[in-house]
Amino acid sequence: MATRNRTALFRKYRTALQQVRPASASTSAQGAVVELSNAPLLRGAASGYNRLSTVDVDGSREGVVSVGLPPPWVDVSEEVAIDMQKIRSKMGELAKAHARALMPTFDDIKGKGQEHNIELMSQDITRLLKKCEQKLRQLSQDRGHSEDMKLRVNVQRSLATDLQTLSVEFRKHQKGYLQRLQQQQQQERASITASYERGKEDEFYDPGFNEQQMSRLKKAEVLSEEREKEVQQIMESVNDLAQIMKDLSTLVIDQGTIVDRIDYNVQQVATSIEQGVRELEQAERTQKKGDMVFCVMVLIALCVFMICVLIFKKLVL
Amino acid sequence: MVLVAAVRDYVSKMLSDIAGMKVFVLDAQTLAIVSVATSQSELLQKEVFLVEKAESTSSEPMTHLKAVCFLRPTAENMQNLKEILGQPRFGEYHLFFSNILKTNFVQNLADFDQHEAVQQVQEFYADFIALDPYHFTLNTPSNHLYMVPLLFDPTKIQPLCERIIEGVSSVFLALKKRPVIRYSRNSEIARRIAQDAARLMYEQEAALFDFRRTEVLPLLLIIDRRDDPVTPLLNQWTYQAMVHELIGIQDNKVDLREYSRVPKDQQVVLSSEQDPFFRSNMFENFGDLGMNVKKMVDTFQSQHKSNQNIQSLEDMARFVENYPEFRKMQGNVSKHVALMTEMSRLVDERKLMSVSQAEQELACHSSQAAALDELNVQWELPGVTDDEKLRLAMLYALRYERENPQQLQELVDRLNAGRSKYNSNLLYSLLKQAGEEKRTGDLFSNRDLFNRARTMARGLKGVENVYTQHQPLVFHLIESIAKGRLKDADYPFVGNHAQQGKPQDVVIFIIGGTTYAESRVVALQNAANPGTRVLLGGTVVHNSKSFLRDLEEVQRVGRASIY
Repeated sequence: MATRNRTALFRKYRTALQQVRPASASTSAQGAVVELSNAPLLRGAASGYNRLSTVDVDGSREGVVSVGLPPPWVDVSEEVAIDMQKIRSKMGELAKAHARALMPTFDDIKGKGQEHNIELMSQDITRLLKKCEQKLRQLSQDRGHSEDMKLRVNVQRSLATDLQTLSVEFRKHQKGYLQRLQQQQQQERASITASYERGKEDEFYDPGFNEQQMSRLKKAEVLSEEREKEVQQIMESVNDLAQIMKDLSTLVIDQGTIVDRIDYNVQQVATSIEQGVRELEQAERTQKKGDMVFCVMVLIALCVFMICVLIFKKLVL
Repeated sequence: MVLVAAVRDYVSKMLSDIAGMKVFVLDAQTLAIVSVATSQSELLQKEVFLVEKAESTSSEPMTHLKAVCFLRPTAENMQNLKEILGQPRFGEYHLFFSNILKTNFVQNLADFDQHEAVQQVQEFYADFIALDPYHFTLNTPSNHLYMVPLLFDPTKIQPLCERIIEGVSSVFLALKKRPVIRYSRNSEIARRIAQDAARLMYEQEAALFDFRRTEVLPLLLIIDRRDDPVTPLLNQWTYQAMVHELIGIQDNKVDLREYSRVPKDQQVVLSSEQDPFFRSNMFENFGDLGMNVKKMVDTFQSQHKSNQNIQSLEDMARFVENYPEFRKMQGNVSKHVALMTEMSRLVDERKLMSVSQAEQELACHSSQAAALDELNVQWELPGVTDDEKLRLAMLYALRYERENPQQLQELVDRLNAGRSKYNSNLLYSLLKQAGEEKRTGDLFSNRDLFNRARTMARGLKGVENVYTQHQPLVFHLIESIAKGRLKDADYPFVGNHAQQGKPQDVVIFIIGGTTYAESRVVALQNAANPGTRVLLGGTVVHNSKSFLRDLEEVQRVGRASIY
């Protein structure tokens, strides 16, 4: 696709015109030009922070645009972004831990440590997700100007979409782990029953091994009970996430619907502002009318009263 | 994807190079251009957190945002920019214009930018509304002016001509091609536009259009709506065309507020990019469409039932996981069902089945007596509205204008007697504009012996579906172009260009507006012949109501000053 850059020509004209223009004082006292120290990318995907290009502090140039500090809610949104980055890295670690735990081991003690570790990490991630979600809600709490509000809502939506995808991914990981665990469980059970049955056949030939097999069976039962507990815990965390998902779904835009259309959103702002103006005008009018009607009523009452007094006077005389 | 992809690429190029939180400033037309190509969620992904109109009078400064302005280079926007740049609200301004900037524009811009807020000024040629991959429109206001003779009021017609040339040239710049231009012989405005476009591409901005030449140059064919007045008058039975005919689609949005009682479905989006069901059904006829919608509803219902049958924790987990998909499907299903219901209701109410059959007969077969009888029968049916009666009369007039002028007068009188909401002289107006001698090309395929034989053969073979028999003129044009046999006599070249061989890229521009029926033809032809790629564009997208409205406007203009 073809494009054409006119910036060079534009700059040439601009400098030429500036030299011709008479020197005039800057129009508004914009105060000191604030250098913007941090304007980080909300994405935070590549690497944290990026500096906005600052404007010249050169005093000789007049009417320089001062780049001000962003409002405080931007900090909240940045925190959410940083948290999401943390969640992503933790999920990577968790995936590795899952893989390690699923590998067949012969050492029970190590196995327990691993499971504990996994549980801790999962709980950590769930906690972070909840925290992010709460902070997101905070973003649209205090009502500001309508424009700032629109901006905030959009930032909120974008972060909510990301958060939702993250939580869905997390749940998929957990579910996958769960399924594989269950498979292993079933395999173990099957192998136990198979070996038990094999053991039964061997009975005629070697009754001595019976006891050993009983103890093995008991151990296997204990193991499977533990595994079931694990499964239960993971289920619970899945349900926690479900709650978060539900809350987020109100914030996220459904793609492909009318709400996802840019012109629809622009119109909404316009119509709501228009409506607001109209309502204000209407209120003004009714208020004025109210006052007027009241005055008129009072005057009429007074007139009637005076007429009565007159008549009364005439009658008396 | 071609046209939509081009606009999307431009928009993403504009936004990706600039880091940080951004505001997107658009005017009314670029808003439409951007809205059909990309969505709000995609903008949010690119960190565009606010979209504003250029005329916005808000004065709240938000200097932590960078403004990306995508505007058309018009005088009105220059005024808006003067105000915007006089008191910059945002930290930086990046200006992108959708078409070529004249040098004095750049000068004025430089003059306005006293605060040096502007960081770049670029031309990104996305100056058309890409409705579908092969169909674009310009949404020009006062479209009826194309029917007014050029000498009548040159100043009024000038903006329309300019807009058309800007739109068409931006399509070619977006595709990086420079075409050979042909136009419809009998149309004055087509010739004017073709010549102006050639001057722009080959003389004024020759350097800009100097792209790599292919073996066979691409073709730009400029024709007039009046060459084929039949297609907009016919009732349509394929999904997209039918929705536009009965309800109305504007920039891929359908407004159901007057129709549906379900508040959620008040405005819906029918975009082939975003809706896979629509993409696979937009050219299907009503019957097949009904079956497909039923299938979709059945799938949805079965999933709904399984969702209600949650027994274990696992089921619950699965439900929650699939919930976003489910919700999307629900929205989609309800949208299509609502549209189908509305259209079914309208078809029954207005007896469109039988009226449309008569229309197709009029358009495709030629037996005058039978046609007249059929017309009379249809007029007598209860529930047939004035629109339908007028359309039938017009189709009759277009086909049999020579054969029996008395009958025509009789029809006009009967229309008058029936107190139609339309001025019955509209019929004569139509003939004056688009009568046989005004048209180029062979609309009814009855001008020469070969075509007549071919139609007779087709008629004998029988048709698949009586309601979709009619093929727009564009169909025949594409066939001729693909075979390299487009007649020079009817469609001359501009200047001394000539074309050897069959062009692989063709853009057909219809001055006066396209219809969705024609865009369907183009899409189907592109699918069937991958060797030739045809794009279709027009000033607006017509349905029968808008076409009749244009005729009324022209009639009013004509009466206001006799021409």
